[in-house]
Amino acid sequence: MFDADAAPSPLVLTGVTLTLPSAAGPVEILKGVDLTVAAGERVAVVGPSGSGKSSLIAVAAGLEQPTGGVVKLFGQDMGKLSEDGRAKLRRGHVSLVFQSFHLLPNMTAEENVATPLEIAGRKGATALARRWLDRVGLSSRLTHYPHQLSGGEQQRVALARALAIEPKLLFADEPTGNLDGINAATVADMMFDLVAQTGAAMVLVTHDPALAARADRTVTMGDGRMVETAA
Amino acid sequence: MSLSALPLSFRFAGRELRSGVAGFRIFLACLALGVAAIAAAGSTAEAFRQGLASQGREILGGDLRVSVEDRRFTPVEREAFRRLGPATFSAAQSAMAEAASGERRLVELRGVSSGYPLVGKVVLTGAASLDAAFVVRDGIAGAAVEQPLMERLGLKLGDRFLIGETPFIARAVLVSEPDRLGRGFALAGRVLTSLEALEAGGFLAEGLPDRGETARIALPVSANVDTASKALRKALPGQGLEIRTRNEAANGVKRLIDQLEYFLGFIGLASLVAGGLGVAGAVGAYLESRKPSIATLKALGAEGVLIRNTYLIQIALLALLGVAIGLAVGACAPLILGELARDRLPIPALFAVYPMPLLKAAAFGLLAAAAFSLVPLARARSTPPSALFRRDLSGQVGLGLETVVTALAGLGLAALAVITAPTPVAAAVMIIGVAVAFGLLALLGRGAAGLAGRLRRLTHGALRIGLANLSGPRSAARTASPAIGLGVALLSAVVLIQSSLLSQVSQVAPRTAPSMVFLDVPGDRAPQFDAALARAFGQALTAETYLRFPFVSGRISRIKGEPVDLKAIKDGERWAYDNDLQMSVFDGEPANAGVQEGRWWPAGYSGPPLVAMEIDAAKGGGLKVGDDITLSILGREIDARIAVLRKVEWGGFSPAFTVILNPGALEGAGLRYIAIAKASEDQEKAATRALGQDFAEVNIISVREGLTQAVEMFDRLSLAVRGAAAVAALAGLLVLAGAIAAGARARAREAATLKVLGGSRSQILTAYAVEYGAVGLIAGVFGVALGYAAAWPVVVLVFEAKWSVDWGGVVALVGAAAGLAALGGLLAAAQALSRRPAPVLRTE
Repeated sequence: MFDADAAPSPLVLTGVTLTLPSAAGPVEILKGVDLTVAAGERVAVVGPSGSGKSSLIAVAAGLEQPTGGVVKLFGQDMGKLSEDGRAKLRRGHVSLVFQSFHLLPNMTAEENVATPLEIAGRKGATALARRWLDRVGLSSRLTHYPHQLSGGEQQRVALARALAIEPKLLFADEPTGNLDGINAATVADMMFDLVAQTGAAMVLVTHDPALAARADRTVTMGDGRMVETAA
Repeated sequence: MSLSALPLSFRFAGRELRSGVAGFRIFLACLALGVAAIAAAGSTAEAFRQGLASQGREILGGDLRVSVEDRRFTPVEREAFRRLGPATFSAAQSAMAEAASGERRLVELRGVSSGYPLVGKVVLTGAASLDAAFVVRDGIAGAAVEQPLMERLGLKLGDRFLIGETPFIARAVLVSEPDRLGRGFALAGRVLTSLEALEAGGFLAEGLPDRGETARIALPVSANVDTASKALRKALPGQGLEIRTRNEAANGVKRLIDQLEYFLGFIGLASLVAGGLGVAGAVGAYLESRKPSIATLKALGAEGVLIRNTYLIQIALLALLGVAIGLAVGACAPLILGELARDRLPIPALFAVYPMPLLKAAAFGLLAAAAFSLVPLARARSTPPSALFRRDLSGQVGLGLETVVTALAGLGLAALAVITAPTPVAAAVMIIGVAVAFGLLALLGRGAAGLAGRLRRLTHGALRIGLANLSGPRSAARTASPAIGLGVALLSAVVLIQSSLLSQVSQVAPRTAPSMVFLDVPGDRAPQFDAALARAFGQALTAETYLRFPFVSGRISRIKGEPVDLKAIKDGERWAYDNDLQMSVFDGEPANAGVQEGRWWPAGYSGPPLVAMEIDAAKGGGLKVGDDITLSILGREIDARIAVLRKVEWGGFSPAFTVILNPGALEGAGLRYIAIAKASEDQEKAATRALGQDFAEVNIISVREGLTQAVEMFDRLSLAVRGAAAVAALAGLLVLAGAIAAGARARAREAATLKVLGGSRSQILTAYAVEYGAVGLIAGVFGVALGYAAAWPVVVLVFEAKWSVDWGGVVALVGAAAGLAALGGLLAAAQALSRRPAPVLRTE
């Protein structure tokens, strides 16, 4: 059993490479990335399409195995863990918010938010889910299914799902990418406020410079490498 | 108990099932079809078994049946029977019946004593009771005659007719006897009269063949039949009595029911195997659609076990539902059959819901569901969470719990099929055959898909699109073709076997077999018989149209000096050692002798007795050339040496005797003759009438009439058997429907894209017709080829019949497979074309 609070940095990437097979031959997606995220730090990752931003999130969150280098989450070397081991590591400590929301279609909003709590074995998951949906302004949508919610509402449910377990580290991959201007702003504000309230560290992939500017630090990806870091 | 108290996997499974079972219609249909077929077969067979068991007394005619051959019961024996309980006696003789019109037919004349029947009722029309039917007036006894025989002889009630030289009056029509089923199949029409009339007519005189007698005994209610049977054997040892209890009333029929159940159950099993691809396809398609959810759950921290259990619970619940539907249909179908066919069934049946056949069908269904569902589940469980970012990613199937259980379930399915079969070895061969056929069809399907990929470069337009789809990774050639092919293989094997056997009976046999057989031609008047026959035929008799052989009945009593041990003899050859055999004598080697081993004795041979024996019967008893056997013939024990082993052409125009001796072996014995002749229908009628004048004692069997009856019975059965085999083909079509349904979204996208690129409706329809028509054609051609390979050895080696192909039936099968599949493709195309392109292309 590991102690997530004991690690000095929730996320450390050292020389991470990722090469994926394709019909046209292997493609190098990440070509040696180094990144350290401190506890409570909010890091924005920007860069052109195809620069490897989403792949960086996938590798950092343990959803994808890197081809080379080391990824440490809360001091644990992810390369030494099985897929189930990585899932256990994420459980209760790491959350993700996706551009396409990825809500579970056959579960209500309340059940979607309760799911990571149930997986982590937390008691009172349903009550906690209701409280979080209230915090994101969806207390009237508890029993609605994803297909009954607007895009903005779906992303707010996803946000509640991600933060209900009070993670130490939040990954957000283009969280406002599929939303219109007003909804995007609402979700962005909500995300930054709630992250600040929970004290979670955040790695945010975005095309939106205004959103990136709200982070503590911005890193720029280019052609699979980290080309620039700005405070 | 609140839902939150349930394990997490159950809660997740319940939530996932909210989307309903619409995507599982094919899964449920494939499972239910196979289970229903097995359940219906088992329930129907059990209904017949229970019917036989409940009417064992009626079928046997009492609690005990005792028979002797070639003699009457002694007074001591009759007294021993009567001490056990009320007893009736009967005897039967084959003889020629002749109407006043001159029409003659071979009949089985049965005489029964007063008190018959002990159990059950004889149904007559024209007389109130058996006593009234049998009454003797003016010295002529009455008789009850079967309706078909009345019609053949042109008799009406009250008409006088002869049997041999004894007159009878037809006082009643014999509708049914309670113990008919227990007496087996009869070649001739039946006449029932009193035992006294049979005796008075001289039909049971000493020296006549087949003058045995049967006693039927009703025991007190409290008596144990097995104890009584043993006591009787002990009281009358070594008297040649054959004793049967009511529990063994119709063993032959029971074996037939077992075989029928196995055949129908095997079709159900083949349907489950063919439908298994539909099950796998439905589960695979469902879990594929759940890939984003599975990846999301893993991203949220769920381990593989939770994923597996969540979806396993859903699959298990749906499997139970499919099995339950199958059991309901399978249990009800025989009840409906019983209601509809109640009075027309040849065997008594007690239709009810019997648990054991349903349990067996449920076991088959659940094992099949496990065997075909767990591999897609394994793939789903190993779906990587990175599939959220890369949609083309899927899980891999490796060695794990699911694959091990799949293998065990498959083995369990095969083992269950073998141990529940009446002949486990034959069952094992059939199951291996199905597995090999299925594997071959899968390989051939893949091969055809690969070939389509190569051929598409040589084509263009709609044909190219169709071939491209055929060669794609989700091509129905890889999934539906094997399933349809298996159904077609089974159906074509049944069609080919039936058509060959039907041809053998209706065309080959009339050409090669004799059309008339003459039994009991008197030895001292044989030349006069030949002359009378030649006059009746209107032409001289030749070796190609007429053969006459000496004939005697006997039995093999010892093999190599030891009494015959039936248990040591192969089941299929026991007939030669536990029955009387037709034997003959020949001086030198006859034409068409069929010698396989040894050398025939020369003409005029006068040494120790020698035997030429049928080779399969000899090998069944472990006999070879040079071995000694002892034959019981006409009360004498004759020790003979085997000189020849020969192949007998049963049903052909040649000496078809199991045992042939040299004439010296039976010197002084009063032999009768048996003769066979080929004749036209007119010659047959003329001879039957003419021989009644001077040779009334000669029994005439019309092989032509027998073959006609056999063809009629065959035809009636063939429709039912083909219908049963079609169940397996139906399973294949369900799999095709599943494959079409699984590809519906992709087809809609493809159709939309083609429309955008300028494709016309007719081009898109053509492409789909080509794709699915080819799937059906592949399945049809390969299925028929496999059916051919399975049918040929059965016809040629097992039945030893002439191979004959019903090309019309074969072409119809291939055409139906291709046509139905193409129709399915057109329906799929029509559905895809019915949606407007823009919304389809916008949707992910």
